[in-house]
Amino acid sequence: MRKQNLKLRSTVTIAMLSSISFLLMMLDFPLPWFPVFLKIDFSDVPALIAAITMGPVAGIVVELIKNILDWLFKGAPTGIPVGHMANFVTGILFILPTYYFYKKFKTIPGLAVGLAVGTFVMSVGMSILNYFVFLPMYTYFLGWGSFDMYETIVLGILPFNIIKGAIILTVAILLFRTMKTWIDKQQSTYLSLK
Amino acid sequence: MMEKMIFGRYIPGDSFVHKLDPRAKLIFVFAFIFIVFFANNAVTYGLLLAFTLLIIFISRIRLYFLINGLKPIVFLMIFTFLLHTLFTREGAVILDFGFLKIYEQGLKQGIFISTRFLVLVFMTSILTLTTSPISITDGLEVLLNPLKKLKAPVHELALMMSISLRFIPTLMDETDKIMKAQMARGSDLSAGPLKDRLKAVVPLLVPLFVSAFKRAEDLATAMEVRGYRGGEGRTRYRQLKWDYRDTICLISLVVLTALLVFYRN
Repeated sequence: MRKQNLKLRSTVTIAMLSSISFLLMMLDFPLPWFPVFLKIDFSDVPALIAAITMGPVAGIVVELIKNILDWLFKGAPTGIPVGHMANFVTGILFILPTYYFYKKFKTIPGLAVGLAVGTFVMSVGMSILNYFVFLPMYTYFLGWGSFDMYETIVLGILPFNIIKGAIILTVAILLFRTMKTWIDKQQSTYLSLK
Repeated sequence: MMEKMIFGRYIPGDSFVHKLDPRAKLIFVFAFIFIVFFANNAVTYGLLLAFTLLIIFISRIRLYFLINGLKPIVFLMIFTFLLHTLFTREGAVILDFGFLKIYEQGLKQGIFISTRFLVLVFMTSILTLTTSPISITDGLEVLLNPLKKLKAPVHELALMMSISLRFIPTLMDETDKIMKAQMARGSDLSAGPLKDRLKAVVPLLVPLFVSAFKRAEDLATAMEVRGYRGGEGRTRYRQLKWDYRDTICLISLVVLTALLVFYRN
């Protein structure tokens, strides 16, 4: 197949995966004991597939379009899409480590390790970013003044991201057990471009 | 549900605001988000609120839709309002319940912050309520054009956005079909222990991904056959036209900014 077509084809595929990601984001559910703005969904799975089959940039773009679409369709509770920015960064922190591990090992145990590392990077990274960026942004826009961010992060955001990572890890591994051959085939098609 | 997905929150209409160029609206809302923070006293917050209400009025959006959009944040707003009213201890005491005193400054602060909140949410809602997602994408593509010089793939991103938007209803239909097919086989996504639910997700995702890749291949071929070769020299079906209305819209924003700067403390 010619080069041009593959480039266009991956552009279109990224668009399709973004739609799926957006739809999966709508099927979100809160976890018991956690505040309502922390919700679990499987929208990172299509981004992960995009990253693995078409490279890390594709995964990042899926995360980006997913969040823009969600903002267009639902709006942001604070008017300014702070939550969407946080979701975008979370997604990237999760899929990139997974992508690099899978690229190196190309096996399901390799993927599992990658997902575990991804979960770790995401939960630690988001705790730090929430402390310095996102929670201060929320409090600034809402004018809440200062509250105990440390507690919110240690009791809320950190365990939440670990659980979220664990759930996506389970789904991704179950998915790869069924689809590995197909995914590897797609990967060899799309990455033959480079 | 289907209909809702095609247009997003967009409600078709032919008011002044609906007819505005998406570029003008995007610039307007983006600037407005920053301008809001100029307000710091009763006059300036009043101005902001009056301005927003005026725009709601000329956009002829039924208040029902705006209020509907507020539902998820009512709690957040009340909480913010109470937080300020109850815990700011400055100025004269207005109400005294013995154990609870409400101070003038606290009440003021509570009202101000809630107003800012409301105005921001209304403005961004008006944008998405009066502009279809596809026009927002077109507008964004043109506005981000300068970034092309930095090698940012603006055209490709906009293309992906439009394709995504186009295929949301189709893929949603498909998701629905697959879910029903799985339900007919006895699987249930919405109940049962977490472990079973996670297992039930996989048979939903597999056909979705496979068909998305197939569809993408078909669409890419179709586009190539029709001579698509990137953004360079592409002609457009939907043309954006800058009108006198758009200029008025931006002038009103400049006037508002000037007033805010003039009246703020």
